Amino acid sequence: MRACITGMGAITSLGLNVREMYKGLQNNDCNIKYYEEWKQYNGLNSFLGAPVPSYDIKYLPREVRRSMSRMSEMAFLSTIEALKQANIDLEEVRKINTDRVLLIMGSTTGSPACLEEYYRKLFENNGPKGQLSTSFFKVMGHSVAANVALGLGLKSPMISCASACSTSSHAVILGMELIKTGLYDMVIAGGADELHYTSACVFDTVKAACTQFMDRPQESSRPFDKDRAGLVVSEGASTIIIESMEHASKRGVEVHAELLGGAYYCDGTHMSQPQQNSMMQTMKMCLNRAGIPPSQVDYINAHATATSIGDIEESNAVASVFGNDTPVSSLKGHLGHSLAACGGLELIASVEMIKNQEIIATKNLIEVDSKCAPILLLKENEKRKVNIVLSNNFAFGGMNTSLIVSRPL
Amino acid sequence: MNRDEIVNKVNDMLMQNFELTEDKLLPSSRFVEDLGLDSLDAVDMLVHLENQLNVKVDVEKFREVRTLGNVYDLVYEMSKELT
Repeated sequence: MRACITGMGAITSLGLNVREMYKGLQNNDCNIKYYEEWKQYNGLNSFLGAPVPSYDIKYLPREVRRSMSRMSEMAFLSTIEALKQANIDLEEVRKINTDRVLLIMGSTTGSPACLEEYYRKLFENNGPKGQLSTSFFKVMGHSVAANVALGLGLKSPMISCASACSTSSHAVILGMELIKTGLYDMVIAGGADELHYTSACVFDTVKAACTQFMDRPQESSRPFDKDRAGLVVSEGASTIIIESMEHASKRGVEVHAELLGGAYYCDGTHMSQPQQNSMMQTMKMCLNRAGIPPSQVDYINAHATATSIGDIEESNAVASVFGNDTPVSSLKGHLGHSLAACGGLELIASVEMIKNQEIIATKNLIEVDSKCAPILLLKENEKRKVNIVLSNNFAFGGMNTSLIVSRPL
Repeated sequence: MNRDEIVNKVNDMLMQNFELTEDKLLPSSRFVEDLGLDSLDAVDMLVHLENQLNVKVDVEKFREVRTLGNVYDLVYEMSKELT
């Protein structure tokens, strides 16, 4: 069974849909901001983040919205966009009552903003006094998946997945695999995370967050650059509608791309240090599962978050699998690191690059760090033949993923 | 608090936290059928009544309420007990 993409939805710091995100990428835009108010947090040294512009979700009934945190709202919005592109409106979704459609979404944790509020109240009141009935529904691990299902009124199988920065790529790969087994006709896959100072704290604590460029926020996230100073957290949501080719064809819906293969492979070595061997193994496994040689890949969308070690390790892994001729870029310079959303967003951007036959270069890459392997890192957007893309995502805990997507054949 | 004050405060609490409009807030309004509230809202209402009106409502008695008029009565009764 072949798996294809029939719908995509994106909520990002560059805009509230796929078109706005991609236009922002083409224009080399960035919405990273300096947060003076984060200075109040003891020990925090990174005051940068990329917020999503304001959006309207009031059209959802109160009883649906009341258990949604910001990340669930964004995931719902990206899912509505993706379903719409796949020619499925909300009324149709509400009629779905089948074991042939799977929802698989997740986030790094439950909403950090709501977790903070929940525990602050718990400690202040020395117990659960004053907690609202919906507090836990915003902070539980499967909050995003459950809230999107509730918003859609979906009656179908559902799984929640959580692997931080690999969450949405895990969701897509698992969805694709399950479609290929013939178990499902359609999978709604994605991930979301919200911007919060505690996300910056997490990376700052392990010395991976950007602590420079406070006066030039839009230059702060600079993957592969010699002056890079760490990652910048952002927020967003991504949703991909994956269908079996037969199902898409039966519905007569446009196929935007084919998912050729994917792989997830863990380090089992270190909780935070990226390992080039595991990255390499993941990419090789992905190529093997997609059934194509490295030479057929036209572009590699790197995970590269602008950390000192991660970018070097990924460049070495890419060089060892692909050599030095395949173009590579990272989108973290434009979007910051949207954590659970980023895998899906970068897959969507890759599909748009295939459609537009161009490659979006790494923003803020002026001079490549000499410690990186000499791979073909693009500094300017280029019109190029792009038919097959490999996209990487890596997360704490050695959660490595690679995906291969191609122009529909 | 007299009964009118309680009615006003309960209505304010409902408009503020449950997005209800004033025209719906009648003593005869039924929680589920007329106001669209459910069991989770009932739990939250107890929290808001305690926080905003400083009235701790008996949970068992609250289980019996069906209309907004019942809530006014119960809160009035509880507030009298406090004084």
